[in-house]
Amino acid sequence: MEGHQRNLYLYERFNARVLGVSRDDVLTLKYWAKGLDLSFPLLSNITAFLGVSVGAQPDGQPIFGRLTIIVDRKGIIRYAREGSPDFKDILLFLKKLNQEGGKS
Amino acid sequence: MKKRILTALSLVLVLAWVSGCATSGPSRPVPYKLTPQGMVIWEDEYEFLPPPPDWKLLRVEDPTGDINFGFTHADPGPFPSVTTMAYDEDPFGCSPGFENREREFFKRFLFNAILQFQILEKKKVQVVGGEGLQVDVEGKDPVKGEKVRARVVFGKRGDRIVGFYITQWRPMDGVYDMLTFDIFDKFVKSFQFLKRSFYETL
Repeated sequence: MEGHQRNLYLYERFNARVLGVSRDDVLTLKYWAKGLDLSFPLLSNITAFLGVSVGAQPDGQPIFGRLTIIVDRKGIIRYAREGSPDFKDILLFLKKLNQEGGKS
Repeated sequence: MKKRILTALSLVLVLAWVSGCATSGPSRPVPYKLTPQGMVIWEDEYEFLPPPPDWKLLRVEDPTGDINFGFTHADPGPFPSVTTMAYDEDPFGCSPGFENREREFFKRFLFNAILQFQILEKKKVQVVGGEGLQVDVEGKDPVKGEKVRARVVFGKRGDRIVGFYITQWRPMDGVYDMLTFDIFDKFVKSFQFLKRSFYETL
């Protein structure tokens, strides 16, 4: 999450916004965001419907697995990677996506 | 109008998180070369004066780039007498300014050791061709009977803050070897970027 916070100025450049989603409750996320000095929104998805809808919740597990997805302005998932975020890969993808958007 | 539509071009969704840990991977080719002048060229990206040969190289295979590389030295004396220094492309914290970054950094630095740090000295320094901030701290663990002295130097690479640090662990009644901090200072002072960072080329 800190990595995303560091990259906010670059996401801004590429017309992207970042949201974090977790099964934790709002209060937990509030303190967690404060502890890490995060300024982007964290969504509390206790019922897990959002994570389940994008395959982030492994069968039989009570929490989401780590997953980064990029949704374009039409709502289409253009990028999905499990595990720790590869920030350089994400930035290069957003740059490409932004360039595509500029041409259309 | 088009501009307003484009502001919501894309959205990065990050689902869940767990604490990330650096892991060692399979061996790969040596990422550095030595110059006749005794400098190290690291992946054609950095140049620096390495510590003496009895320091061991630390490489961390970490996709988030927590630590790019560092060096460690087993010091004489009982556990935990060891000194480690490192260059970090993305030190803890997020702020692009030194003062805020320092505050954020020390919330996480050596977090697992559960130490209370006391700032011993804080001063502006010149590092990697620009202004930087050097902070000396000491942390103590009276339960384990251990202490650590550290120096952290924040510098800038483009818009982003990079960090250098040295940590020297000792038993509570042990004596720090300040000459080792001179080796670290030479490492930091000699450090140069040989090309623009990934972030500067975006």
